[in-house]
Amino acid sequence: MTADPITPVLTKRWLSPQSWRLSTYEDLEGYSALRKALKGSPEQLVQLVKDSGLRGRGGAGFPAGVKWSFMPPNEDKPHYLVINADEGEPGTCKDIPLMMADPHSLIEGCVIAAYAMRSHHCFIYVRGEALHPIRRLNAAVREAQAAGYLGADILGSGFDLELTVHAGAGAYICGEETALLDSLEGRRGQPRLKPPFPAAAGLYAAPTTVNNVETIASVPYIVNGGADWFRQMGREKSPGPKIFSISGHVERPGQYEAPLGTTLRELLELCGGMKDGIPLKFWTPGGSSTPLFTAEHLDVPLDFEGAAEAGSMLGTTAVQIFNETVSVPWAVMKWTQFYEHESCGKCTPCREGTYWLAQILERMVDGHGTEEDIDTLLDVCDNIFGRSFCALGDGAVSPITSGIKYFRDEFLALCESNKRELVGAQA
Amino acid sequence: MTMAPEEPKVEVPEGHVKLTVDGEEVIAPKGELLIRTAERLGTVVPRFCDHPLLDPAGACRQCLVEVEMGGRPMPKPQASCTMTVADGMVVKTQRTSPVADKAQQGVMELLLINHPLDCPICDKGGECPLQNQAMAHGRPESRFRDKKRTFPKPLPISTQVLLDRERCVLCQRCTRFSAQIAGDPFIELLERGAHQQIGTAETADVLDMASRTSSGKPFQSYFSGNTIQICPVGALTSAQYRFRSRPFDLVSSPSVCEHCSSGCAERTDFRRGKVMRKLAGEDPEVNEEWVCDKGRFAFRYATASDRIRTPLVRNAETGELEEASWTQALRAAAEGLAKARDGKGAAVLSGGRSTVEDAYSYAKFARVALRTNDIDFRARAHSAEELDFLGSRVVGTGPENGVTFHALEHAPLVLCVAFEPEEEAPAVFLRLRKGARNRGTQVVHIGQWTTPAVDRTFGELLACVPGAEASAVEGIAQHAPDLDESLRAEGAVVLVGERAAEVPGLFTALHRLAERTGARLAWIPRRAGERGAVEVGALPTLLPGGRAVTDAAARTEVEQVWGLAEGALPAEPGRDTTGILTALVAGELDGLVVGGVDPNDLPDPALAREALAAAGFVVSLEMRPSGVTDHADVVLPIAPVDEKAGSFLNWEGRHREFPVSLEGTGALPDCRVLDTLGVEMDADLFTQTPAAAAGDFARLAVKGTFTASDAVKVPFTAAPDVPHQQAATPGAGQAVLATWRQLIDDGSLLIDEPHLAGTARAVVARMSAATAEGLGGHVTVSTDRGSISLPIVVADLPDGVVWLPGNSPGSKVRATLGAGHGSVVSIAAGGAR
Amino acid sequence: MGIFDPVKGFGVTFGMMFKKVITEEYPEIGAPAAPRYHGRHQLNRHPDGLEKCVGCELCAWACPADAIFVEGGDNTEDERFSPGERYGMDYQINYLRCIGCGLCVEACPTRSLTMINFYELADDDRQKLIYTKEDLLAPLLPGMEQPPHPMRLGDDEQDYYVNGPELARGRGVPSGETVETSEEKAVQ
Repeated sequence: MTADPITPVLTKRWLSPQSWRLSTYEDLEGYSALRKALKGSPEQLVQLVKDSGLRGRGGAGFPAGVKWSFMPPNEDKPHYLVINADEGEPGTCKDIPLMMADPHSLIEGCVIAAYAMRSHHCFIYVRGEALHPIRRLNAAVREAQAAGYLGADILGSGFDLELTVHAGAGAYICGEETALLDSLEGRRGQPRLKPPFPAAAGLYAAPTTVNNVETIASVPYIVNGGADWFRQMGREKSPGPKIFSISGHVERPGQYEAPLGTTLRELLELCGGMKDGIPLKFWTPGGSSTPLFTAEHLDVPLDFEGAAEAGSMLGTTAVQIFNETVSVPWAVMKWTQFYEHESCGKCTPCREGTYWLAQILERMVDGHGTEEDIDTLLDVCDNIFGRSFCALGDGAVSPITSGIKYFRDEFLALCESNKRELVGAQA
Repeated sequence: MTMAPEEPKVEVPEGHVKLTVDGEEVIAPKGELLIRTAERLGTVVPRFCDHPLLDPAGACRQCLVEVEMGGRPMPKPQASCTMTVADGMVVKTQRTSPVADKAQQGVMELLLINHPLDCPICDKGGECPLQNQAMAHGRPESRFRDKKRTFPKPLPISTQVLLDRERCVLCQRCTRFSAQIAGDPFIELLERGAHQQIGTAETADVLDMASRTSSGKPFQSYFSGNTIQICPVGALTSAQYRFRSRPFDLVSSPSVCEHCSSGCAERTDFRRGKVMRKLAGEDPEVNEEWVCDKGRFAFRYATASDRIRTPLVRNAETGELEEASWTQALRAAAEGLAKARDGKGAAVLSGGRSTVEDAYSYAKFARVALRTNDIDFRARAHSAEELDFLGSRVVGTGPENGVTFHALEHAPLVLCVAFEPEEEAPAVFLRLRKGARNRGTQVVHIGQWTTPAVDRTFGELLACVPGAEASAVEGIAQHAPDLDESLRAEGAVVLVGERAAEVPGLFTALHRLAERTGARLAWIPRRAGERGAVEVGALPTLLPGGRAVTDAAARTEVEQVWGLAEGALPAEPGRDTTGILTALVAGELDGLVVGGVDPNDLPDPALAREALAAAGFVVSLEMRPSGVTDHADVVLPIAPVDEKAGSFLNWEGRHREFPVSLEGTGALPDCRVLDTLGVEMDADLFTQTPAAAAGDFARLAVKGTFTASDAVKVPFTAAPDVPHQQAATPGAGQAVLATWRQLIDDGSLLIDEPHLAGTARAVVARMSAATAEGLGGHVTVSTDRGSISLPIVVADLPDGVVWLPGNSPGSKVRATLGAGHGSVVSIAAGGAR
Repeated sequence: MGIFDPVKGFGVTFGMMFKKVITEEYPEIGAPAAPRYHGRHQLNRHPDGLEKCVGCELCAWACPADAIFVEGGDNTEDERFSPGERYGMDYQINYLRCIGCGLCVEACPTRSLTMINFYELADDDRQKLIYTKEDLLAPLLPGMEQPPHPMRLGDDEQDYYVNGPELARGRGVPSGETVETSEEKAVQ
């Protein structure tokens, strides 16, 4: 199998008729990786994933193989594999279509990953609002179970795996892995103190690995294609294909698969350019929790290193594109209101800070801001960033700090002393 | 030649690490939290959620410090309350790190944006960690000029605890205390973000719904007051202390709880001669930092309007008690008692709530002034077997050689027999739970049903019919060999409560069990003064220091110390409580001195009343009118614990000394009254003050004779030897009664506390589903004396057993039924009350 | 000794008859004190008559002479003396101890405690010089109602504190004057 950067991998079955059916999946190489994987040993699989350089697709980009190798080798406690399908980051829409169009690739990945980690129970924690994917996933699990890809003695290998699809209750914080585990256990979804890390004491205090949907769905292709094939795509430190969720003011928004390291300029070509030709003003490389980029950053390679060097983060590769008609303060206010609403309340900086930031921004957008407010915003952001319990607080301040960094003039224009017409607030 | 001074090389002991805090090298034990290491060096890092006895949460983020590990600074400031020390770590607190200082100021500002700043009307104002730390680490002015989040306030989450959600900083101390320490998760976090708040499931209509939690269990915690004390802001306040005073008005004195035998350290805060509140004191060996709600809130009995403040003498003509001077009253009492003594004799019932010094004075008064061994402190069910047990296995034990709280926490197994830890000694319950939760202590209860305490000590219940506890203990070797094996483990403990006196043969069985397995045995009485009263000889068979009255050498020793003529002490054991009452009815005794005994607590309240009526002369030392003062010829007022100094011996045998809180109220302690009464009767007690009484007793106390290796065996008197009996078998329409008192009930020290009474557990009868069949929802339990009707709650009791609360509103078992634990009673369907 | 000497004395007397008299006819005619004289204390009211005192005891804490005793109380829906949760249930100032320094007035967070010009603080009975709440409370002005009564001017205490001056206007207190000053005048 040779890799062409344009040939889709993860999304290759999406356009097939009834792509979610087991029969379609089997016709298109489905479950062939599983048969291959079950012949090898768990150690070999972990090594393969390590060699492939697959990095977590949930935002942090932690090497998946390394994460798997943290699972203790002994089995005195049950091991759990938990799939984080609580896709809630504003702008991100890659896991839900994946589960809609190709649920079996996720299930196959789950079985392989569970086998590699000696886990006999896998949970897929799906965002509660995503009712349709939950139904489709459940149907796929039933199909796989009936076909012997799940359950006891999978394909005669002697390996057992139970797979549970769990619907969350609609909280952004449950995308944080420890909050997800608490929620899965039936508690309040609030992040846990680390250490102990999930690999030591996760779900029900047993060794647990939490992986993103896209990460796990990539595994069958690695097993089939091999590590070297996988490394042909993307860049040295961030190999592999990635689904980019492109939304906003472009001609054809949607999911575009491309190797990591693709630039926005290339992505814009794929999606037909800016809508109605109105020039680009600002964009997020990976959802609202990643600092904004502007038109200057069109040629930043979108991989973990490239985005970080340019002062942002790759995040979930949720590319939100905004053209000249959008007011930055207004967009920042909307995002901040989201974080205020979704802050779990556990720690002070995030709980009180987002509450305060949202009020200041609302007041500014209303036209009652002062220049002092901009300093206060930045200082409060500084008091939240790196001080909060989990990364939600860090994410909440990045649109504000980056927005003021690149578009301070727009914030100044909102101040009472130099009030002008607010651009795009009516949008 | 000059030599460079050598750097003194600091050895790092095993299990320790070396780190640098604010430029100062420090050696810390592994696992220590940075916040404690800094504290040891004298740097207090501000904090809200951190509490040394609770699991770390890291929620408030107030304690951020800068940390460098392996030469690399960590990118973000770290919460020092969750991070443990590591070798080579470099920590910079707010003292040396501008980053940490800014982080702390920032968090403080954020904490205050939604705080109502209503300090002038807040009970916490003046002793508030938020207030103090805002002064020390906060900005002088807030930049927040938008709208604060508001809530209606206050919200009662029980009749005692009020919640002000605006003031709350959501540190989760209260919820963590409830979940971890007390095990009553009656409060939880609700909502999220800035709207997150503490609440019960139905806070909105909490008063109507009797505070039910999400699991449908009624809100009841015997430890809810602790959440008020550990709240770092004024979010939780008590209805009792609400707006009563400000911290700076209060004078504090250390004190010891007078309610149960745990001897918890407390702090008594008073203002203008009136106790305003009590707080948990800190004593890591005993109560750590917790007390139960009874210890915290029940103190207004001392200021009850009917408190007796002047001596009363019964007017021979009118038959009414009349106020008299101390001189008159003491003369009348002395004359009457001397006459009785010289006639058929006089006896003493000293009650179980005296301090050591007061109990000693009663013991000495009986021997020296009344020349009798007819003294018994046991104002409850009692037996001769118990006397043997107390003499052989209890007296003389102390923390050095007996079971301690620490031993309970570290025991591999604790067997509770006829003992309900949460109701009878809440501090013991907390330790059991702590041991079970943190160290996996196995807790086994021999009782009747799975009480909340069984559940929350992660315990196991061996259910038996009331009265069959002795057979159950005897049967352990045969029927529960694994338990028998566990009892042989090093450090295993057996705890027995006061109810054991109602089960013939139980003390004997426990004694044999301890002998056989080597498990350590401890007696945990319910009342604070009982353990001390054993030690000072307020018993018919024991002289002070555990000396047997039948031992001639011991008598001689006591006579010498007391300066009595040889042979002055009577050699025959005296009568016990029931013996004294029977003798009074039979006319074999004339006089009686009673200190703090309620006839309704006695095994047979009817007999007690008859005896008091029949007695020729009764002297009562009391605080408030009671069933005894109704019959007394002379009533001498005495001081409550707040108004006197003294000490208690807790169940461990640990000396719990306390100074006087309220000075100069004019109330006299029992020892002083008895001393003066003795003088009137030409007998010198030398107990003018508690200190004098303690000094006098010290010359007779057992001391220094035991070492830790001695275990608990102290053979002063013969060990109990009573065969166990079969439990009563109920006939048709009958059941065996199981009963014990609930912590918060109608006890005489719980009067005038309406808020506390509201947190009492429901008064219900419990029985198995089979027993309850055909009774409808209500049962009427009756004997020939009377009947009690209560709603039924089905529980896992053995069939044919009914459980009633001992002394709760509507269920006064002794007073109404004249029955006790193990009695057979009739049960019938009862009408709704 | 001159011949006119005896008359000279009368001259002084005669001369004085035409000068302004500085004798104060006290107590027949009251002598007003200086406008900012530290006289007796007064516990002020909100425009609807509710008490301003919240029983916080800060005055007692500030008092260098320990002349003030306060005990707070709990307002209930049926018996309300002040807006909010807390009121001063017991309030006593011992004028045998008071040194008139005014620190208590500075300490008061609700401007409940102020001083008026009344200075006749003398008596022949020590007991009478301990002024209680009844003695210290400001008189009811028109539009005021004797507590306990429900809050008339708003739903919660914030309405009283935040909009105090407007509320006062609404109850007929002239602009430029506070409830306190107008009460003071009423006392005088």
